[in-house]
Amino acid sequence: MSQTNASNQKYFLPRAGLEPLVRILRQRGYTVLAPTRRDEIISLAPVESADQIARGVHDHQDGGRYRLTQADPEIMFEYVLGADSPKRYLFPPELPLVELRVRGNRFVPTSQPPAIAQYAFLGIRACELAAIKVQDRVFGHAGQDTLCADAAEYYRRTRRQALVIAVNCTRPGGTCFCASMGTGPAATEGFDLSLTELRDGFLLTVGSQAGAALCAELEIRAPTSTEEGLAEMKLAAARSHMQRHLDTRGLKERLEQTIDDPNWERVAARCLSCGNCTMVCPTCFCFTVSDSSGLTDGVYGRTRRWESCFSHQFSYVAGSGPVRSTIAARYRHWLRHKLCTWWDQFGVSGCVGCGRCITWCPVGIDLTEEASRLGRHVPGAGVVPIPKAGGTKEALP
Amino acid sequence: MIHHVADMDHRPPPGMGGWMPVEATIVNIQQENFNTRTFTLRFVDESLCESYRFEPGQFNMLFVPGVGEAAISISSSPYQIGAMDHTIRMVGAVTRGIDRIGVGGVVGVRGPFGRGWPLNKLAGKDVIILGGGIGLAPLRPLIHWLLRHREQCRRVVLLYGCRSPEDRLYAAELEAWSGRSDLDVLVTVDNADEHWTGPVGVVTNLLQRIKVNADQTVVFVCGPRVLNRVAAWNFLQLHVPPAQVYVSLERNMNCGFGRCGHCQYGKHFVCRDGPVFCFADIADIFAKEEI
Ligand SMILES: Cc1cc2nc3c(=O)[nH]c(=O)nc-3n(C[C@H](O)[C@H](O)[C@H](O)COP(=O)(O)OP(=O)(O)OC[C@H]3O[C@@H](n4cnc5c(N)ncnc54)[C@H](O)[C@@H]3O)c2cc1C
Ligand code: SF4
Ligand code: SF4
Ligand code: FES
Repeated sequence: MSQTNASNQKYFLPRAGLEPLVRILRQRGYTVLAPTRRDEIISLAPVESADQIARGVHDHQDGGRYRLTQADPEIMFEYVLGADSPKRYLFPPELPLVELRVRGNRFVPTSQPPAIAQYAFLGIRACELAAIKVQDRVFGHAGQDTLCADAAEYYRRTRRQALVIAVNCTRPGGTCFCASMGTGPAATEGFDLSLTELRDGFLLTVGSQAGAALCAELEIRAPTSTEEGLAEMKLAAARSHMQRHLDTRGLKERLEQTIDDPNWERVAARCLSCGNCTMVCPTCFCFTVSDSSGLTDGVYGRTRRWESCFSHQFSYVAGSGPVRSTIAARYRHWLRHKLCTWWDQFGVSGCVGCGRCITWCPVGIDLTEEASRLGRHVPGAGVVPIPKAGGTKEALP
Repeated sequence: MIHHVADMDHRPPPGMGGWMPVEATIVNIQQENFNTRTFTLRFVDESLCESYRFEPGQFNMLFVPGVGEAAISISSSPYQIGAMDHTIRMVGAVTRGIDRIGVGGVVGVRGPFGRGWPLNKLAGKDVIILGGGIGLAPLRPLIHWLLRHREQCRRVVLLYGCRSPEDRLYAAELEAWSGRSDLDVLVTVDNADEHWTGPVGVVTNLLQRIKVNADQTVVFVCGPRVLNRVAAWNFLQLHVPPAQVYVSLERNMNCGFGRCGHCQYGKHFVCRDGPVFCFADIADIFAKEEI
C-alpha cells in the first residue's frame, strides 16, 4: 500500500473489467481477498475469480441484527461490512510466533518465522482503510514506537506488501456512522485504486504508483463528466442517508469525566460480556500469547491469539483476581478506550465508525447511544434519558 | 504531564526484542519464606551476562517452556554484573514451574521492561521507601543504588512490613542494613512471635515513628494494592507533594512492552509507562475501583 496519492487520475472501468483485475493480481502473486457471501453474511475471503465476489445483495443491519436480501443481480457492492475486517489478515486471530525445543541449556527454534502472504484487499471500505491506519499506529508501522519492534514484524511486513482496491460506499449500512468519525463513506487516502459503482461499471480513482501501474493493464477509458458527477452524487447521498451519528465535538474530554457515571451500571445490566464487540472491531488489538507443549515431540509452542478486555482472565492478578471484576468496569474500559484513552495512547480515535460492534452485539448495545449519554449526568438529576438515535446533536445540551 | 524522567532508559538488548526468550541458568535458590524464594539467574550466553543492564524497579518476563511467562521484578543490585536475582512468590503455574526447574535448570528471560524508580529526583531530598510483603523485591535494587550514591540525598528511611518475622524477605540483609548509620530501617510485622522485639502492626503505622519533612521528601511505595493506596494517601496527608510520591503497580501482563493491552490502567500501559508511576500522573484514577 503506497502512502502517496500518486495522481488521483480517474477512469471508467466496465463491470466486466473486474475479472481481468482479479486475474492480474493473482498472476502477480497476490492472494485476492474480497467480500464473499458465506453463511448468509458478507465475509472477506480469498477469491480466484470475480464471480466469487458477493453481488446482487443488500444487507440490513441494526443493533443485534444482520440480514441479507436479494437485490439487483447486476449491482455488486450495495452492501457494506460483514463481521470480518482486514484485521483478520494483517493481525490474524491466531498466529504461531515461535516453536522451540530445549536442548541442554539452550532453546532451539524449530520453526521459521511465519510466512508473509501478499494480500490484495479488493472491495474494502473507507472505514477499513481508516482502521488500518489506526492499527499502523498501534503496531508501529508508522514508526512511532520501536520498543520490541520485531514483535510486530508480521503486521508490518504483511502491511507493507498489501495492495488495496477500495470500494466507496453508495448505500450505507444501518449501523454505520463513518461520516461522524470523518472516515467515510468515500476513501480519500490509503488505497492503490478505489471504485465507485455506477449503473454499468465503476468510476476508478488511482491512489498510488502501484495502482497506476495496475491501470496500465486494465481495460479502462476516460470517464464522462456525467459518470464523474453521478459518482459524486451517490457518495453525497450515502453521506446524508447515514442513520447513526456520534457527536465527536469534545467527546474525548467529556468521556474523561465519566469514571463515576451512573450509566455504566445501566449498560452493564444488558451487556453479556461476550466480547463480540472486541472481536469484530477492526482496531481492537489486544492479544494473549499462550504456551503449549507437544506432549510427545518435545516441541514447545508460543501462539498469539486475539484477546478481549471483556474476558475474565484479561485483567486477572494472582492472589486478588480480575482487576475489572464487574461487567460495568469492563464496558467502561472498552468504551473509554475506544473513544477516549486511545487518543492519549495513539493520537487517534480507536473507533472509526464501522458499526460492527452494534450489529454483532447479541443484545444490540449501541455505542453511539451509550457515548452520547455519558458524562451528561448532573448530580441529583438522575440518569439522562436515551436520546433518539440520529438525533444526538439536537437532542442534547 | 509526565513527572517521570528515566535517567537510564534500559530496553531489551539486541536479540531480546522478540517472542523468543533468552536462556538463563538458575545458579542459586535462596529460601526467603514459606512460599517465596530468590532465584539467581545467569544468562547462558556469556556476552549477555556482561552487557545486560537494568534500572532499579524494572522487571523481566520469566518463561517456563510449555507453561507460560510471569512478570517478575529484578531484585538484585544494578551493580551486580553477571547474575541477577528474582524473588518469586509461588502462586500459580509459571511461578511454581520456575520452582520445579531447580538449581542448574534453565528458564527463559525477556526484558528488562518498564520504567523504574526515578533516580534523578532524589538530589538533596529525604527518601522514604515503603514496602509491604513481596513489594520489597523491586525496592531492593533501589536500596543498593542509593547506598552507592548515598551522598546525593539526605536521610534514607526504609519502612517494611510483612505478616510475621519469618515472612521477611532478605532477612540477613535487613539486619545488615539496620546496622548502618546511613540508612534508617524500620520493620513491622502483623503477627509477632516471642522473639520479636520490633513494632507490630501495619507498615503505615511506622510513619508515626519518623519525622517527615514533607516538601523535601521523595517517597517510593510498593506493596499490595490496598497498601499502595493507604500509603500514598498517608503521605499526601502529611503534605508530601503528589509529584514526589512514586508507586509501583501490579497488573496482569502478557507482553511486557505495550502491545497486548492486558496491563492497561486508564490511558497507561503499566508495563511500558510503569510499573513505577508518579502519583501526580495517576491521581485521577488511583483512588478509583476496577479501572
Ligand atoms: C511489574 C510486575 C512485577 C512483579 N514482580 C514480582 C516479583 O518480583 N515477584 C513475584 O513473586 N511476583 C511478581 N509479580 C507478580 C507475578 O507476575 C505473578 O504472581 C505471576 O504472573 C503469577 O503467574 P503464575 O503463572 O504463577 O500464576 P497463575 O495464577 O497461574 O497466572 C496465570 C497467568 O496470569 C497472569 N498473571 C497472574 N497474576 C499476575 C500478576 N500479578 N501480574 C501479572 N500477570 C499475572 C500471568 O500471565 C500468568 O501467566 C509482578 C507483577 C508485575 C506486574
Ligand atoms: S468501536 Fe464499534 S463502530 Fe467503532 S470501529 Fe470498533 S466495531 Fe467499529
Ligand atoms: S477495547 Fe478492549 S480489546 Fe479493544 S483494544 Fe481496547 S482493551 Fe483491547
Ligand atoms: S503487558 Fe502487554 S501491554 Fe502491558
